[in-house]
Amino acid sequence: MILVAFAVTAIAAIVLIALSRTHRQMNAAAIGQAIVFMAIATWILFFVQVPVDTFIVGSGYFFIDHLGLLEVLVATFIFVLAAVYAQGYVGNLLASHELEAGSLRLFYAAWCLLELMIVLAFFSDNLALFWIFAELTTVISAMLIAILSARENIDAALKYIFVASVAMIFAFVGLIFLFEITRSALGAGTLNWTALMAHASSFPPEMTVAAFLFIFIGFAAKSGIFPFHTWLPEAHAKAPSAVSAVLSGVLLNVGIYGIIRVFAVVHQTAAAAIVTPVLLLFGIFSIAIAAISMLPEKNLKKLIAFSSIENMGLMLVGIAVATPLAIFWVLVQVIAHALTKASLFFSAGILHRQYRSHLSADAPDDMYDVFRFQPLAAWGIILGGLAIIGMPPFLAFFSKFFILLSLDSLSPWVLAIVLVLIFIAASAIGFFVISTFGRTTPPGETCDLVPYRTPLSMKAPIVILLALVLALGLMFPAGGYAFITQIVMELRFA
Amino acid sequence: MSDPAFFDGIVKILFVCVIVTSAYIITTKNLISLVRVYALQSLALMAIALSLAWYENSAILLAIAILTLVFKVILIPYFIATVQEKIRIKRDIEFHFLSPTSSLLISLALMIVIYITLSHVLSDTLAKGSLFFFGAVIGISLVLMGMMVTFSRKRAITKVLGYLSMENGVLLFGLFATELPFIIEFLIVIDLVILILLTTILTVGIDSTLEEYHNRLHRFYLWEEQEESP
Amino acid sequence: MNYEFLAYGIINTACVVLVAPLFVSLVKKVKAWTQGRQGPSVFQTYYTLAKLLKKEVIYSRNASWITRVTPWACIASILVASLFVPLVYVTAPAGGIGNIILFLYLLVLGRFFMALAGLDAGSTFGGMGSSREMSIAAVIEPTTIIVFAALAFVFKSLNIIDMAGMAASSGTVVAPTLILLGISLFIILIVETAHIPVDNPETHLELTMIHEGMILEQSGRNLALMELSAAIKQVVLMALLINLIVPWGIATTLAPAAIGAALALFVAKGAILALVIGLFESSMAKMRFFRLPGLFMMAFFFSTLIILIEVFT
Repeated sequence: MILVAFAVTAIAAIVLIALSRTHRQMNAAAIGQAIVFMAIATWILFFVQVPVDTFIVGSGYFFIDHLGLLEVLVATFIFVLAAVYAQGYVGNLLASHELEAGSLRLFYAAWCLLELMIVLAFFSDNLALFWIFAELTTVISAMLIAILSARENIDAALKYIFVASVAMIFAFVGLIFLFEITRSALGAGTLNWTALMAHASSFPPEMTVAAFLFIFIGFAAKSGIFPFHTWLPEAHAKAPSAVSAVLSGVLLNVGIYGIIRVFAVVHQTAAAAIVTPVLLLFGIFSIAIAAISMLPEKNLKKLIAFSSIENMGLMLVGIAVATPLAIFWVLVQVIAHALTKASLFFSAGILHRQYRSHLSADAPDDMYDVFRFQPLAAWGIILGGLAIIGMPPFLAFFSKFFILLSLDSLSPWVLAIVLVLIFIAASAIGFFVISTFGRTTPPGETCDLVPYRTPLSMKAPIVILLALVLALGLMFPAGGYAFITQIVMELRFA
Repeated sequence: MSDPAFFDGIVKILFVCVIVTSAYIITTKNLISLVRVYALQSLALMAIALSLAWYENSAILLAIAILTLVFKVILIPYFIATVQEKIRIKRDIEFHFLSPTSSLLISLALMIVIYITLSHVLSDTLAKGSLFFFGAVIGISLVLMGMMVTFSRKRAITKVLGYLSMENGVLLFGLFATELPFIIEFLIVIDLVILILLTTILTVGIDSTLEEYHNRLHRFYLWEEQEESP
Repeated sequence: MNYEFLAYGIINTACVVLVAPLFVSLVKKVKAWTQGRQGPSVFQTYYTLAKLLKKEVIYSRNASWITRVTPWACIASILVASLFVPLVYVTAPAGGIGNIILFLYLLVLGRFFMALAGLDAGSTFGGMGSSREMSIAAVIEPTTIIVFAALAFVFKSLNIIDMAGMAASSGTVVAPTLILLGISLFIILIVETAHIPVDNPETHLELTMIHEGMILEQSGRNLALMELSAAIKQVVLMALLINLIVPWGIATTLAPAAIGAALALFVAKGAILALVIGLFESSMAKMRFFRLPGLFMMAFFFSTLIILIEVFT
């Protein structure tokens, strides 16, 4: 019933988009779908007994548990705000002819389809089904990146597709390994996560390690972990900002979600001891490469994209530690990162519209007099930047602090290294903000930049997101604590 | 049911065919023959699936063989060939990051490394007979050789064919490592079709100016006339 | 004294010398047919050799003893090598004759002297031919070794005569991978006997000669010996391929009827192989020299694959 509702809404939205003729109508359809999705998700949260594993269609393949529900709530929320933001942003793209009117329908149809795929992916029980949905999200989001049909966008989209899909093939090989493990351990092969969790202790360690490593490759590429992160800075920087927010805030979560699910299975076998150092290493390398690349970066969107890599690395490190505390705060970090990163990309989008450079999208940004022209966006970047680097009282402070704290239980040296790297990343953002936002035209000269009139649809999401991150940081609801603790227990980490 | 030595012999020859086609994909510069060799590789794979189906008397394997035949031997190569004709980019000269000789040597080394690694891991399929184990080894080798193609060539069409070769490798691996349920192959095919569609569309645009790209998209009926929108 | 082996030696050498020029002309005839010509008669090579034997030998003023020794060294090494490969009659080997590695290096010995002789007269054509020949030899050698290793692995013996005996006694093809090995052996045949796409045996253009370039300075009886040794090399390699892959009909007893039948059968099989070679040559152009290593690399890859399959399964 629930799944049917999601699917029907998405199909209705796509049909509406196919029939509409103006941008407003299409955007309204997209916003409508996102709101309906979020409504269904909140309804499940409050009124349905989770976990749900029987559906009219797809029992045994789909499954709603707390983790899936959390991810879907975050995802749909970001989609609503991104769709609202897109109204102004895409409208401006049309007006400046960077986006051709002919591809508008394709854009919104892909947008709606992407949201459906993401929800279905988060609600999959069967890992092979999850795999195909993750693949489809890669393909559809690549289409959204390439919608601007500039040569560099197509390049970035193709690179994204190839890196992610090649890695996903490795993940599929890992899934076949997993299938073989269950077949020899249980008699009948299965790829259902619930079944895997139930029988994990009977799996042979070496094959489980091999299976996990292969699967890890696939989902690590999806979430931008070193060394599969090469597609991320370009793709996120060159996509239209509404799409970048979704890419960074939601799609990276799909990758981390996959890693968490499979690690939960492996965690119960003896293979965990072999796999943990690998995860730790990859996480630290991701943070390192992100921090080091952020220092010389002069393009705002690329800077934010690298910050995504850094946060994903930190999440991976948290997962590797695998104590209940660490997992709890990793999940909080998922929420914090998604919300903050979306707001950062929204602000960056406004600045991009203002200082529209005719060079490539990842050339150094040429911004000056920021506070005069776009004060809201400027403050959005400053506050968002503070939030993302983990400054109290924003939510990310707590999640980062406690993840680092749990690292200490593993090894103080690792903690020291990660702390230094996070500091480097933070200072990179700070340096960028100070040097770029401090640029003003000298008093004598006139500035011939036309101020961009930001519509409310672009300003509101930023304010909402930042307020939410601040509020959650100041006062995380008790229901939220219980919810996430429930997730940790379901994943059998506690 | 049937003579194991005969089955052995046929499958060995087919293995060699599969790897030789993969080697050809790595080393060739001719875009047109690339697609045909891919079709040949899928045909060899289908033959392997058929012989397995006959040997193990399994209907699922037969279904997989037919699915492979329809999609990977007939439809996808036809589609790619049609796109190539339409965009008329018959550039035969490829850019290599890795010379053909070294890539062949690397593939050989990879196969040996994979054999050694897998023998530590898959201690249990080894019991089924070393042919099956070798099938798994070749499957993963095909995946890695396809990956080499995807990452060392510049032209997008070649990258796509490298990816297709990887999928073939996964199928081969799946056939020999375990008893695949049909849904898995079906998923792979769906994934392939969508990926090919999208990538060829993008590839259409990658070598042209914006004007030509829009013209081509229009030709593919993907995109209606310009409209005024608020 | 092993009389059987002595008989084998005499019969084999006689057959080899007798049949070798026939196959050379056969290949030329097939090529002519594909070009729409009549071509020379199948016995033409015999007439050519006879003619050359009657002609005067001339040595260049700069030629040293190498040019005088080379024809004899070539014919001697190739005749000894021909003892290693049974054509019509198989028996137990004696005295280390038949070892496949020794066979390979006997072939190389002949090639070595030819290359030296090409350089010896001080002409540019010879020098160019020699250097190219040596590069090709260097690149094809790994493939040849791997193919011979695969053969040794399949037949479980390092002795060609034993291999042929084993192939003859088992009724069918010993292993399906032998068919694939046949392809590799065919490639080696093409390379060693200087056919298209490696080298054009009918050219006398300076930039395209390899084998022809090295024997350009030879004349009269010496030239006859060089041509004959090239022909024998070809028939020996053809026999290797034929008698290991499709050995039916080879004689295992000393009965004259059996040997006669085996000879006829060998000529027939050889004729088919010559037809295949001719068609293969006609179907492609000579490859540019720097592209040859690519071709050899594929052959190497193919052969290594076969040996991996044999070893791993």
